[in-house]
Amino acid sequence: MRTLILISAAFLMLTGLLLPAPAGAKIYIDISSPERKLPIAISPLNGPMGAEIAKVVSSDLDYTGLFVLLGEKGFSERPYEPFNRDNWLATSVICVMKGNVSLNGEGRLDARVSLYDVQSGKELYRKRYQAPEALIRPIGHAIADDVYRELTGTKSAFRARLAFVTQKHGIRDINLADWDGQRARPIGLMDRLVMTPRWSRDGNSLLYSSERRGRWSVYLLDLKTLREKLIYTGRGTNLAGDIDAQGDIVFSSSAGGNQDIYLYRASDGKVERLTRTSGIDVSPSFSPDGKKIVFISDRSGSPQIYLMDLNGYNTVRLSFKGSYNTCPSWSPQGDRLVFAGRYQGRNQIFTMKPDGSDTVMLTDTGSNEDPAFSPDGRFIVFTSYRDGYSAVYVMRANGEGQKRISPPGVRAFGGRWSPN
Amino acid sequence: MRKYFLIFAVAIALVSVGCAKKKVVTEPAVKQPEQAKTQTQPAPAPKAPASEEGVKTQPENTSQVAKATPPSTEETEIKNARFQDVHFDFDRYDVKENDKPGLKNVADWLGKHPDAKLMIEGNCDERGTAEYNLALGEKRANSVKEYLVALGIPADRLETISYGKEKPICTEHNESCWYKNRRAHMIAVKKG
Repeated sequence: MRTLILISAAFLMLTGLLLPAPAGAKIYIDISSPERKLPIAISPLNGPMGAEIAKVVSSDLDYTGLFVLLGEKGFSERPYEPFNRDNWLATSVICVMKGNVSLNGEGRLDARVSLYDVQSGKELYRKRYQAPEALIRPIGHAIADDVYRELTGTKSAFRARLAFVTQKHGIRDINLADWDGQRARPIGLMDRLVMTPRWSRDGNSLLYSSERRGRWSVYLLDLKTLREKLIYTGRGTNLAGDIDAQGDIVFSSSAGGNQDIYLYRASDGKVERLTRTSGIDVSPSFSPDGKKIVFISDRSGSPQIYLMDLNGYNTVRLSFKGSYNTCPSWSPQGDRLVFAGRYQGRNQIFTMKPDGSDTVMLTDTGSNEDPAFSPDGRFIVFTSYRDGYSAVYVMRANGEGQKRISPPGVRAFGGRWSPN
Repeated sequence: MRKYFLIFAVAIALVSVGCAKKKVVTEPAVKQPEQAKTQTQPAPAPKAPASEEGVKTQPENTSQVAKATPPSTEETEIKNARFQDVHFDFDRYDVKENDKPGLKNVADWLGKHPDAKLMIEGNCDERGTAEYNLALGEKRANSVKEYLVALGIPADRLETISYGKEKPICTEHNESCWYKNRRAHMIAVKKG
């Protein structure tokens, strides 16, 4: 009997105290073209687990590559001392985060955090975060998101969730984790073969393919009710795919005797065939504006990236370099595609513009595939075989900071961040 | 200035794990009862010595079918049937000339066993990417199916499934291993 671990929603309460922002709040660092890294100090919060919370905040901010974090040795002010700009003027630091945290008898953390501008001595924001002790890391990510938003004027990826597949003893499961791969836990599918988890645009459902009883089928799992809906099955190989804002789903199927792209309409449950070539058509996904579908086809004799309209017309080939380009995925802004291209006998991660120009290679270690952008477009998650087994890796969108975030020694792949 | 402070509360649902278990709503029944078992096993080693697996179809191997015991019932024969894998070139799915005599033997065997149908499993080596390999494996299985159909086997006795690079029979990173994994594997099952 198939069981799923019940996923309950816990609540992290945030009470924000926003200081009156003058028209056009100051942007401390322009993330589209940072001239230099912004020096900041993240002080341990004063109170129980204050250092651990600050560590999560620092780790998130540091990984963006946009900031220089002042080491604690450079701090001229204790965590329990109130912020005083005079203590920081001699340092290079532009902004300082400080705060207090307490733990009540019921095991709830209550953190109050402020961000200060050293030059003016002004408090930029103040916010209160309350959550059960177990959610210490999500509290850290929430603080990091607020600090990031204050300094850059944009939302971060720190509060996204990561879905990825693990395989242990021949049994696979989809795992949900924080954006950094921590706190990963299986959702309880326990399939022998499950592939390609894909988030719905609202972040409430996961689309995936699973082989059960000799058939590959496309399923949609509602993460709140844990109801799994069979979207499409049939003889052969039926693979997700992508789901758009209306709940329409693109997938590939060999139902017509050949792997082709199909569109499932959520409104009436009808399925429409979009491609009719004699070769392979696979790996479809909607463009962020919902107007195009990118997919892989070997109609030219080798797998290449193609773009078509939602009705299957106006197909154009996008990739021309190399003889094996697969796994296309969009940036959230729709301005780049990330994909796996074969280079010197191995698959590597590349990005390019959606017209096929400006190709950039981002990896060169081992073999790498199945890339996808973070919801803020600044990071890429991918599967790497560089450690001798498949593992989920992340990097910045320019290829910097490559690191494994799936558990060591565990076969893991198919990482995807939630859109929110 | 400060009297214009805005205070608001936002509640954000964070997914966290409870320990209760809940059953998933199962999909509408798709009945294929007997096949599930055969799918789960990695391909059994062929009767030829393991070292010969990397070699192309053995010419002296006149029959593709090995019978473990003298024939008893057709059911046992179906259960014990073993077929030589069909191998493919990298990123290709066309049946090669040297595999065609073997497939003729498979067709002959199916002709003699009308209660049997064939599950054809397409597989790939590790060098391709996972999702594309599933499509490629399906094409390989389909190529074998089409060849058998051309030899007169009704299509409804032939089913295909792809395992892409998800179920390798060899896990070393060299051509001899890749060759073994680029295969269509055939399993006879009883109809109905």
